[in-house]
Amino acid sequence: MTTAADIDSTADPVAPRRRAWWRLLLADRAAALALFLLTVIVLAAALAPWIAPHNPYASSRTVMLPPVWEARGTWNHILGTDGQGRDILSRILYGTRTTLIIGLVAVVVGGVLGSLLGLLSAFYKRIDPYIMRLVDMMLSFPAILLGLALVAVFGPGVVPVIVALAIATIPDCARIARSIAVSVMEQEFIEAGRAVGLSDGTLFVRYLMRNCISSIMIFISLRFGQVILIGAALSFLGLGARPPMAELGMMAAQGRDFLLFAPHIAVIPSVAIFVIVLCANMVGDALRDVLDPRLRS
Amino acid sequence: MMAEAPILSVEDLRVEFGVDRNVFRAVDGVSFSVRRGQTLGIVGESGCGKSVTSLAIMRLVSVPPGRYAGGRVTFDGQDLLKLPESKMRSLRGGRMGMIFQEPMTSLNPVYTCGDQIIESLKVHRNLSPQAARDRAIELFDLVGLPSPSKRVDDYPHQLSGGQRQRVMIALALANDPDLLIADEPTTALDVTIQAQILELMKDLQDRTGTAILLITHDLGVVAETCDEVVVMYAGTVVEQAPTSALFGDPQHPYTIGLMAAVPRIDVDADRLATIEGSVPPPWQVLKGCRFASRCPLADDRCRNEPPPLRAIAPAHRVACWHAPIDGAMA
Repeated sequence: MTTAADIDSTADPVAPRRRAWWRLLLADRAAALALFLLTVIVLAAALAPWIAPHNPYASSRTVMLPPVWEARGTWNHILGTDGQGRDILSRILYGTRTTLIIGLVAVVVGGVLGSLLGLLSAFYKRIDPYIMRLVDMMLSFPAILLGLALVAVFGPGVVPVIVALAIATIPDCARIARSIAVSVMEQEFIEAGRAVGLSDGTLFVRYLMRNCISSIMIFISLRFGQVILIGAALSFLGLGARPPMAELGMMAAQGRDFLLFAPHIAVIPSVAIFVIVLCANMVGDALRDVLDPRLRS
Repeated sequence: MMAEAPILSVEDLRVEFGVDRNVFRAVDGVSFSVRRGQTLGIVGESGCGKSVTSLAIMRLVSVPPGRYAGGRVTFDGQDLLKLPESKMRSLRGGRMGMIFQEPMTSLNPVYTCGDQIIESLKVHRNLSPQAARDRAIELFDLVGLPSPSKRVDDYPHQLSGGQRQRVMIALALANDPDLLIADEPTTALDVTIQAQILELMKDLQDRTGTAILLITHDLGVVAETCDEVVVMYAGTVVEQAPTSALFGDPQHPYTIGLMAAVPRIDVDADRLATIEGSVPPPWQVLKGCRFASRCPLADDRCRNEPPPLRAIAPAHRVACWHAPIDGAMA
């Protein structure tokens, strides 16, 4: 028997272990830069109360002060002040915090609920048609409209926006999770797990979910950028954070009134949104390239 | 026949699949039995219902679209088709083990090989983690995996196909099953590994006395390993005989055709023999013998009345109106 065993160990017994995924991620220059920028942004947002140079809600006497690189700019207000004389840099820091929290909570809540629906749908084929029709219904309902409806009922605020965004995330996530899970369910190891006598719960968590989770995480990370964008759009329409709270979309909306004589008030928060979304998408893309075994092989 | 009662007996098993209103029968009245220590082969071409039969025994046919339309599967005195799911679950992987066709995809890629065996040991016996690990290493050694104490910590992708099939066998044997169902265990492996795996299964059977149900389309595998053979065609059993009788004196025209289609090393042939036509699609309703459309001996009776499975010699049963055939066809 030993000879037999020797023969079929033709595959290298010490096959090179897969390179750690984060090494591959850092090897991609653009992704590494995006990841670095995103980290800086998140840190800056998290530390806003300590690093913001001014109170984001306090007005100064100098209204519509241009940023420092323009002729009238001062180092006291590096990014200038807005229409009410509030320091834009401080408001950007606080606003990024609000925007990130809205995006993160919405994408996590919506992503988890959506993925669970999708996974259940693939696991219990009996309930699949019902779940997927429900998802189709949700899919045909625009997030903006949902946000408007929620604001009409509960009044404007961060929470209705988060709820609207989470609900808008559910159907996409459910569809993606289901399609990933269906292909996993077709693999023989699910049946093999059943043949070993495992319970449905074990099969669902250890066999199905564990094999889907990395692909789903990639989708959710890509979705993060979109959710921030829709959230900013909702705030821009006046459905989100209430003034004087700082939120990037709302700041851009407020700057609209001064677009002709003080464009920086609208442009700076817009650029901040652009950079966050771009970085999030690039990191998500890179994660997909690195983690998705189909793209790697 | 030995006096001992069979560990598994299948009687008149019928399994249907419904696609909308079109219901077709994948397994239509199949009967056979296996005793302890015996190896029973089920042969037949793709789509003849042999895999569905094996899944039905484990009650793994998904319902819907599948449906158990009738018959009985008796395992050690219990009717499996009537057993509650929780009892069935403790049999699966416990007293009944199963090996699958594709070793490359039948192990969960996110856990180590050892973990999967330990999981099964934990479900079926209350072993402590350390005892389960020791048992896993012991099993890996039993199935001939080199350096078993290292292999238990390997992920499936780090092993070759043959090694993974050994892990699957270890998994199936983890709880000393009374019955091992092997659904084309060697089809996906190359020839040298095939022989090793078959030898391993035989070796383990000698040691543990487990009954083996071997599903295959490879007559060579059957000849080497089985005590008795069931030949299936289009969801029914067409012939059943001890291996030597089946190979020495095949009686059903389909079996004869199958034998003739195997290339022989001692005969110089330009063309391989084939059986004309193809398996009737499962939704086609057939009045008579299912093989009639491809059978050189078919007559009116064959086309109108289904032939019953009847004994033409002790332990040799054939479903053909023309049996016994006196070698004229072969």
